[in-house]
Amino acid sequence: MQSNVQMKELIQNQKLLICVGAGGVGKTSLSATIGLQAALMGRKVLVLTIDPAKRLANSLGLKQFGNTETQIDLSQIGDVKGELWAMMLDGKKTFNDLIDKLSKDEQTKRSILNNNIYQSITETIVGNQEYMATEKLYDVVSSGRYDLIVLDTPPVKNALDFLDSPGRMARFVDKRVMKWFLTSKKGEKRIIRRLLAGSSAVLFKLLGYVFGQDFLEDIAIFFSNFRDLYEGFQERHSAVEALFRDKKTCFMIVCAPHKPALEVAEFFLKELKKRKMRNPGVIVNQRHFAHFKNLNAKAFLQERCDELSQDLSAHTASMLLARLGVSHKRLHRLALEEDALVLELSKYLDKQQRLWSIQRMHGEVHDLHGLVQVGNQLFVNQE
Amino acid sequence: MLEEVLGSRLLFVSGKGGVGKTSFAAAVAKTSAHFSKRVLLVEIDNFYPSLTAVFSTAPGYQPKMVEKNLAICNITWERALEDWLLQTIKIRRVVNMIQKNKIAMLFLDATPGAREIVILSKVVSLLDSWDQVIVDLPASGHALGVLRVPVTAKKLMRSGPIHDRASQVLKVLSQKSTKLAIVSLPEEMVVNETIEFMQKVAKGLPFMEKPDVVLNRASKPSLTPDELLLLERLEAEEDVMGAEARELLQAGRWERDLESATGIGLKRLKEACGEEIFSFTRLGNLGGYKGGPNQVVQQMYTEILRKVKNAK
Repeated sequence: MQSNVQMKELIQNQKLLICVGAGGVGKTSLSATIGLQAALMGRKVLVLTIDPAKRLANSLGLKQFGNTETQIDLSQIGDVKGELWAMMLDGKKTFNDLIDKLSKDEQTKRSILNNNIYQSITETIVGNQEYMATEKLYDVVSSGRYDLIVLDTPPVKNALDFLDSPGRMARFVDKRVMKWFLTSKKGEKRIIRRLLAGSSAVLFKLLGYVFGQDFLEDIAIFFSNFRDLYEGFQERHSAVEALFRDKKTCFMIVCAPHKPALEVAEFFLKELKKRKMRNPGVIVNQRHFAHFKNLNAKAFLQERCDELSQDLSAHTASMLLARLGVSHKRLHRLALEEDALVLELSKYLDKQQRLWSIQRMHGEVHDLHGLVQVGNQLFVNQE
Repeated sequence: MLEEVLGSRLLFVSGKGGVGKTSFAAAVAKTSAHFSKRVLLVEIDNFYPSLTAVFSTAPGYQPKMVEKNLAICNITWERALEDWLLQTIKIRRVVNMIQKNKIAMLFLDATPGAREIVILSKVVSLLDSWDQVIVDLPASGHALGVLRVPVTAKKLMRSGPIHDRASQVLKVLSQKSTKLAIVSLPEEMVVNETIEFMQKVAKGLPFMEKPDVVLNRASKPSLTPDELLLLERLEAEEDVMGAEARELLQAGRWERDLESATGIGLKRLKEACGEEIFSFTRLGNLGGYKGGPNQVVQQMYTEILRKVKNAK
């Protein structure tokens, strides 16, 4: 990515494209748009998405396909060379599958899945789906079934959560904590005994006092079962991290032209750079444009308004003309505000990074034709 | 609805990211303070507290007065844990020992729900010294997890101080004077999430009062049916019009979209959440934002005050 890239090149050459940004800026639609364009170019694409707006999901035929890859029927938009697949992530199921895969034997697996604490761990740690996204990603990338995978990341309060998510589980089963449990030989009783008699005994007695002895025992059992999975988690952690830094992976920042979303975009620009992750630039979605200043609505529309309003109540034409004039003034002001905000953002771009702008669509994008329209803006008008 | 929100002892505010949770929470806090209540506005464990921009000062762990009768704070996990341990163990030296021990801290960090229960119980304890405590919760998904924690904790810890504390917190959450407000926007996805959140609250937090819904950035309908019809007729001829005329129509269409989105959103929210929905007028140009966070809060506060005075 030495020079300013074109979107076309990008989806032709990359294997993994990860869309990041604030919530509500249209990441899901843009991921689907990019995926569709790549399919139109003949690639076999998977769009991995998390809880998309229902109508978009419906239009992609995704409603009841939790965690299974589903091919999207593209026949309605013509003869398409490539293939478009989509999958919606189910965090809990992904986690259960992972436990299934990493467990050495049936007994370990059952013991983990049945553990009291496991349920709430999936709620607190995995309930945040960013971790699960990276897990599933690893699976589909290593399967080699697709030329390109577009990942729509979950909206995160703390933007770093996603980038750091590969380490999350590994941190949870932190070496120091795990080592502590690993050194004790097999047997839950022994672990509990060690808890209460070892070098940290006083400490754990205190913790037992704070948390209740029963709970301490539960968690000890959980860790002792979990330690067998430790290596597996570590391996996957390293693999996903390597994947994030791979030459064929890039992160695309998506934002909308307002302060809160742009702040998240700036933040991502800095953090991706710091982490040396590839980032060709920013897509500014939902923009308003105005090319004229001080438009006189009467001068351009009076005649048509009069003609078309003959059967309507008196003054409809003049009222609407006045309204359009006011609306246009606001549109113009908004467009200027957005220009200024986008200019501010562009200062954070490196030479080889670029900025794509997409006009806000009327209504919400919820079918393949809508996606093609957005795609034309992204791929045709700007190249 | 507004009356109940203002009259609550403990108010949680949540909603999808970027909908104006913090602004609404701050506006309610200002209103209560205006009516001489001593109000504490709380942010939970936020590394970059959103309240900073509203009150031009960063909230710390200890409540800080920012206006007459109004204080803000940011309850961080580390400090709340320290308070918690001191309360339970009562010997500072021993608490220090636990806090310095890496394994113990990792253990506490990894314990599911420990973070939330410690923070929530701190929030509940603040009710003793304030007339009203308003909590700016994280976005909907996470907020549900936070409020559900007392239930989970009671299940996980069958005895001991956490179990007892969880029972106390649960009792406070179940009280009529504890309310949850969800902030929404007139956008399809946000409305979807609001309705889903309502359903999840009904299922996952059955002990809590039914949440109140607030619609932010609403555009009041101003185009008459005839004007809409004329606009539609003009649009049908758009292809043969000049660039200027097209841009004028474009602008009219934005306004129409915003107004109709408000109508649709409000209707869906009313169907799902009940008739009483308070809406705030949109500021700024079309979809744009106007002013800084403090101006937005000031404007919302003025709207609430007006509404309250009209009701009286």
